Amino acid sequence: MNAVDAPAHQTKIRSKEKSDKPWQVIVLDDPVNLMEYVSRVLIQIFGFSKKKAEELMMAVHQRGQAVVWSGNREKAEMYVNQLHSAQLHATLEKAE
Amino acid sequence: MTVGPTVAGGLKLVPETEHDWMLLLGIAGDSDSDLAGRLAGLMDEDSMWDEIVAPELTEEFSKQRITVVKEVLNAREEEEDIHIVKSNAEFWYGALNQARLALEDKYKFGASEEVDPEVFEDSSARAAYFRSNFYSHVQGMLLQYVMIDC
Repeated sequence: MNAVDAPAHQTKIRSKEKSDKPWQVIVLDDPVNLMEYVSRVLIQIFGFSKKKAEELMMAVHQRGQAVVWSGNREKAEMYVNQLHSAQLHATLEKAE
Repeated sequence: MTVGPTVAGGLKLVPETEHDWMLLLGIAGDSDSDLAGRLAGLMDEDSMWDEIVAPELTEEFSKQRITVVKEVLNAREEEEDIHIVKSNAEFWYGALNQARLALEDKYKFGASEEVDPEVFEDSSARAAYFRSNFYSHVQGMLLQYVMIDC
């Protein structure tokens, strides 16, 4: 009996842990959008300082993508919507 | 065609030949009307992005293209230069970006520093590359002179 109950309990805990993980807004690199424009969009949407926006823009450029924000799903979707509106390639995924 | 900043904080496009006018009218033609759908493809299916968000973006992107075409047609009809000011700069930037994204998607130019135009044996790809560069140049000037504090 105990041997059966134990895994179920663990599953429940894992499930709760997973649901508590934040959602990440990810900007993907593309060869079209101008770097200055990407920084500008990040400042406008997220209110980042120019320095932080440029650091994130360079991270996108050099690594192919960068997490620019994390938090609840609803807000993450709103940010991705705004990034798409600015024609940036962006998506969201749950933090691992 | 001459493109330059104005003292009023705008950008002036001065088409000099019929080819220049056709180039500007071609911005909309180069654009991909399914950009919103392609962006939605980056999202997982659970988000229903293609049903909820993409239609709004499609309309927004369409408005950018229509604005640019109307302004070019009006200027050609009135035989005037084209003035891009703060109020319409976002439309122009967006329409130019749509065109460049579509050309990149079609021809896979990659980053500009990696591309040698001489390698293009296909004349349409070569022409597209130069159009894309022109659009990029105008976008750069928009950012530098017009959209400074937008």
